[in-house]
Amino acid sequence: MVFLFDFLARRLAQGILIVLIVSFGIFAILRMVPGDPVRMILGPMANAAAVEAAAQKLGLRDPIPVQYFHWLGNVVRGDLGNSFSKGKAGQSSARADQQSDSDKARVVDLLRGAVPMTLQLAGLALVFTALISVPLGVAAGLFSGRLPDKVAFYVGSIFVSVPNFWCALVLVLVVSAQLNLLPSIGYEGFAYTILPAVVIAIEMSPIFMRALAISIADVHRQNFVQLETIRGIGFPRIFLHHIVRNATVPILNLFGVQIGALLSGVLIVEYVFNYPGFGLLTVQAVSQRDFPVIQGAALLSAMLFVVINMLVDLISTWIDPRLDF
Amino acid sequence: MNAPIASVASVADLHHQSIGPNRRLLAAAFAQTEFKIGLVLLTLLIGTAFIYPNLANVSATKISVMERFLPPFFMHGGNLKHLLGTDQLGRDLFVRTLIGLQNALLISLCSVVLMFVIGATIGMTAGYYGGWIDTVLMRLTDAQLAIPLIVLAITFLTVHRPTPQAIVLVLSLAGWPAYARVTRSVMLSERRREYVRGAKILGASDLRIILQMIAPNILPPVMFVAVLDIARMMIFEAILGFIGIGIQPPTPTFGTIIADGRNYLINGWWIPTMPGLFLFATLLGINLIGACVERARNMLLRGAI
Repeated sequence: MVFLFDFLARRLAQGILIVLIVSFGIFAILRMVPGDPVRMILGPMANAAAVEAAAQKLGLRDPIPVQYFHWLGNVVRGDLGNSFSKGKAGQSSARADQQSDSDKARVVDLLRGAVPMTLQLAGLALVFTALISVPLGVAAGLFSGRLPDKVAFYVGSIFVSVPNFWCALVLVLVVSAQLNLLPSIGYEGFAYTILPAVVIAIEMSPIFMRALAISIADVHRQNFVQLETIRGIGFPRIFLHHIVRNATVPILNLFGVQIGALLSGVLIVEYVFNYPGFGLLTVQAVSQRDFPVIQGAALLSAMLFVVINMLVDLISTWIDPRLDF
Repeated sequence: MNAPIASVASVADLHHQSIGPNRRLLAAAFAQTEFKIGLVLLTLLIGTAFIYPNLANVSATKISVMERFLPPFFMHGGNLKHLLGTDQLGRDLFVRTLIGLQNALLISLCSVVLMFVIGATIGMTAGYYGGWIDTVLMRLTDAQLAIPLIVLAITFLTVHRPTPQAIVLVLSLAGWPAYARVTRSVMLSERRREYVRGAKILGASDLRIILQMIAPNILPPVMFVAVLDIARMMIFEAILGFIGIGIQPPTPTFGTIIADGRNYLINGWWIPTMPGLFLFATLLGINLIGACVERARNMLLRGAI
């Protein structure tokens, strides 16, 4: 237990460091944006004195490190600030000049509204990814060089070559517009999650399929697996207890590395489908120069990356005790 | 993977054992059918992309109100002058697609070269020196991996005007960590080899050891795998164009053509779909080649070739 605790503490420290670097990086880049965010809040008609006053109040004229530590102090207290452009109800405010600071939506609330939608999308996408990549990948690994391997190779090559946004448009055109099978643009119920999830699954599955095929083939080739057949152990048992168990660790690690790619996929797919999740929120925030929302989104995705990778390491050591912390 | 191994064995028998691992890797990749399919597909597409727009006397940017929404040649109402029809402004879709292909190829090639140089430099430095240099560089790499590429790219390209140079820079920033990690791990074992220690004792400078002795040994296998990244970067270039922060109009890119055509999905479905099909075919060619190279590399690591 002591080394487990030690491991967790060390990884946590590393994780916090990563999150700090990422958030400061994004923070610094955002402060170099030409164009004054105060102008976006107050509108083009506001006079210079009002702009200056608002900028002072928001702390936008302080040096970058000062602003950063101010922001960080609030984050620790659970306050990510208020959106520059989104009103309480979630729409961009039309009468921006009449609004006071408190009328703006809190970033925490915006994230809290968007993240469950994205989790639903990402979850369904992972289910679809598993449905595609596990059967094909396992078959390709067990029968490497033969037909299943070839099939997996071609399916993987085709899927990985489909640009996600184009795939989304084609699916909207064929499945929604022509065949009228599934709804697609916006969100009015669970059915709206299916097409976006399919697009993400098409993007993600080749990576996992190929990795699964390679690691299963590798384990299958090992002496101990070949010997078990000679010892008379049945194939289902060899497969479940030895092949799957040994092949899981690389896949888990791959999953940790691919979190960033998954998030990128979610972002673009949500944008195309106008799906009201984390990705759409981020894209809109960037186009509106909504600093607090962008910072909150970057912080959240970095934290997600760190936490998932810690979990991956923990589960890996639990599955394969030979790995040490 | 029995078939490729068998054919590889015959390749290996033909030559002497003395040929280097990189040559063996390429030979093993070329021996696979899929490699040749990808190569033919890619050659055809690239050839067309760089030859047809010069031969055909059709402009990519000339607006022609009389010829708006012409369908592709295989549909009723289409003609052979505009093979893929025209877009909402009457511009020839085929020439626009091919020029978009040229741009995508050039940008992705440049960015892969740049990300390879950045990643290899950082990885080799971290692996060679170790200690705190290694720690700092690798934490930076981890931090970079924790930002979704798209968030970084759209943040940077809204700050900076999306010139081709800025796009190349953003794409390579997004891709270098993978190379840094791989090169570092190879470097860690390579720096303990006899020849490195020998060179050090003879007084060779670190720079000379790294660039002239180690780099030629460890970089080529990493370089081969970079083929797959050319395809990834082409997709990213298209995504950037699609959300409006790629190369700016009037220069055609896959992203902008598809984004503009998105509004005409019902009455001009070929405008967003046809260019995408070309992008897909190009990516497929690259990915087939890349996957074969990767398979050959796995065989090499296993000692099968």
